[in-house]
Amino acid sequence: MINEAILRVVMSVEVSVLAVAVLVFLTHGLWLFLSARRRERLLKVGRESLVRVLSESATQSDRNALMRLPRNVKATVFLEISKHLTGTAKGILKEAAETSGLVAGAFKWCESISWRRRLKGVRVLAQLEKADPLVRKLLHDRNAAVRAQAAEWAAANPVPGVIDDLLALLTLPDAVSEFAVQDSLLRMGPIIVEPLAQYLETNDGRHAEIGLVLAEPLAEPRFFPAARRAIEKGGRGERKAAARLLSAIGGAEAAALLVTKLADPDDEVRAEAARGLGRMRHWPAATHLSGMLADDSWNVRQEAAFALRTIGAPGILLLRRAARAGNRGADIAQMVLDIPILRTVS
Amino acid sequence: MKEIISAVIMRAEFVVLAYFVLVNGWYLVLLVSAFLEMRRHMAHISGESRWRLLSSALSPTISMLAPAYNEEATVEVSVRALLALHYPGLEVIVINDGSKDSTIDLLVDKFALVPVRTAYDQRIKTKGVKSVFRSTTYAGLIVVDKENGGKADALNVGLNFANGSLVCAMDADTLIEADGLQRMVRPFLHSNNVLAAGGTIRIVNGSTVGAGRITRTGVPSNLIAGFQIVEYLRAFLFGRLGWNRLGGNLIISGAFGLFDRKAVLDAGGYLHDTVGEDMELVLRLKRRSYDAGGKGVIAFVPDPVAWTEAPESSRVLGRQRDRWQRGLADVLWRHHGMFLNPKYGVTGMLVFPYYVLVELLAPVIEALGLVGLIVGLFFGMLDARFALLFYLSAYGLGTALTAMTLVLEDISFHRYETLQDRLRLFLFALGENTGYRQMTVYWRLRGLWKFLRGRKDWGAMERKGFAKAPPG
Repeated sequence: MINEAILRVVMSVEVSVLAVAVLVFLTHGLWLFLSARRRERLLKVGRESLVRVLSESATQSDRNALMRLPRNVKATVFLEISKHLTGTAKGILKEAAETSGLVAGAFKWCESISWRRRLKGVRVLAQLEKADPLVRKLLHDRNAAVRAQAAEWAAANPVPGVIDDLLALLTLPDAVSEFAVQDSLLRMGPIIVEPLAQYLETNDGRHAEIGLVLAEPLAEPRFFPAARRAIEKGGRGERKAAARLLSAIGGAEAAALLVTKLADPDDEVRAEAARGLGRMRHWPAATHLSGMLADDSWNVRQEAAFALRTIGAPGILLLRRAARAGNRGADIAQMVLDIPILRTVS
Repeated sequence: MKEIISAVIMRAEFVVLAYFVLVNGWYLVLLVSAFLEMRRHMAHISGESRWRLLSSALSPTISMLAPAYNEEATVEVSVRALLALHYPGLEVIVINDGSKDSTIDLLVDKFALVPVRTAYDQRIKTKGVKSVFRSTTYAGLIVVDKENGGKADALNVGLNFANGSLVCAMDADTLIEADGLQRMVRPFLHSNNVLAAGGTIRIVNGSTVGAGRITRTGVPSNLIAGFQIVEYLRAFLFGRLGWNRLGGNLIISGAFGLFDRKAVLDAGGYLHDTVGEDMELVLRLKRRSYDAGGKGVIAFVPDPVAWTEAPESSRVLGRQRDRWQRGLADVLWRHHGMFLNPKYGVTGMLVFPYYVLVELLAPVIEALGLVGLIVGLFFGMLDARFALLFYLSAYGLGTALTAMTLVLEDISFHRYETLQDRLRLFLFALGENTGYRQMTVYWRLRGLWKFLRGRKDWGAMERKGFAKAPPG
């Protein structure tokens, strides 16, 4: 009824696929067991030697042992301890990484045609905070993961060229993970204030919005002109980001601008302005905020209520009045008064 | 007459056989794709440092939405585990969906909850909210007590209360690993086009749990739970991972999925009148993205893991599978306009047809093949060699693919460490295709039948609670 040849072919294909799968499963299990044991042994040797190097009681055989470790194991040994060290100890670790050949190996990885190796290389150099023009070049790598990792490296190397490169990356959509670039710039600290202020002067739209978001945690008065321009003339995203930045910078001028934005046509901007006034604990704005409890937008009402509670006594008084008034703001006023732990206003 | 029937059965069997060969061939493509994707993924995560995410002022905020219905056996452990997740500024919203047991009393007692005024923005229409509680000990915990309206309704209430830019939908009995959210949020950090991301679901049966965490991973001795472990590994590690590379996923498990809150709110939240609300939402998000000319991405990330309790009785499992199949049929029907529609790109031309032809219709074709085979053998219309060929084509390659999935698990996450567990898994993989698979075919057919008759009930899920780690 069925062709013998077809049956034989199908059976042999099926049986061999099954046999291969079984074989792969079993041999892989065995290999995993053996390689894990070997790796554990090497890691133990590496860790012990590195600890002696760090405590400055190492002998030449410890240094040799570190040098002899396979590159992957060496990288694990150094990197697992690297994040816990700072200062002198980190300096010793970096020196040991150089002498053991790990740094040279990481550079080789960075030059590889395989993106996996380049990623591994830049990861090692980022965690060892090793400055080198080669790594800076990887900010423009063709692989997004390598670029993101290079951006992480850049956080520990805040020199003008690198900062400019990172700021330039902000303007390239999808060039690299926005988070990696922005986070690295933030971690560089006040050194980015001037370049970022210049960036804000020369960019608008979405690029300016990203810059304003980045400027907020720094809260430098140097950003005030850019924030004022954005809140007065920018699009919705820029106005929102500018409102947050102004509340972080603080001051009477910033508060006055935020009060005017309580009448912005966009509800998200109004909500951000209300939140900003609360964050500044700007009690003279309490009556304005109280008026916002009857806003058409829920978000605005909620932010105004939280802001009033954050402001303290005058705000709470106005919230109680609103709760008793029985109008649209009563519910949200009562809800915010009821909350046992005040939400952190950030 | 007998000759005609014999010829019809023979031809039909060959059609079914050809179907299995094609499906298994496509599975092979998926497997290769999964291996490549896993290789890429492992390179990305190996040696990555996630401390930046934990300490950054720019980390996206997440609200966890945990609907609970009659979950008194597991809710305390689950909520404690949620509160202990390693993610900055996490908001946890537990929605008690009109439980008839003591879920809400237990929550009030264990988490020092106090009622607060029920005022919120009902951006999505839902059943009424009875009360809202906040914890005096955990600032990030909100418990909403509402009238029963089903899981979709509970999630919509959660969406109305959520403040995070991302929302994580989950089941209240799901245990998410401590660093699960840090891992799951990756696609959102690397692209602005991500609408949703899903993680891996694993079966907790056989493992031990202490303080809301898995303390020892194990394989259960219960056959039904064991088969499901293998099934889940195959579905996540090779099915969804393979699709990541071949055009994207259509399913994010309702037990653990991370969504862009704005995108979900703009889409109107979860639908109430379907039992496949999680898949429906994902498909709607994807469809809206295409309609808007965008490139919305549905990502699957294999390393964040959530553990869930699998049914150990065929009765409960049958109800679950029947519901899943009804949900699938319902969702595919609702969005049938995407089927082979070039406007929806690879989703319309490849992914959607796969779900129709393989996921939806497979039980029908498989059942026809099996019935035809039995009838043919009984009446001597088919011979034993054909039966063998049928079995090998339908199930032999499937077993081999499952074994390869176990290899994939081994080279990547390697959660089952002991030789005993590995051997058990392997035996489950070998045995799954004989008996268990045919039972699932029956349940899925039952689901399709109920769908055609318009049934939309969920069926009850019975929970045993997690196996606890011994003290000390």
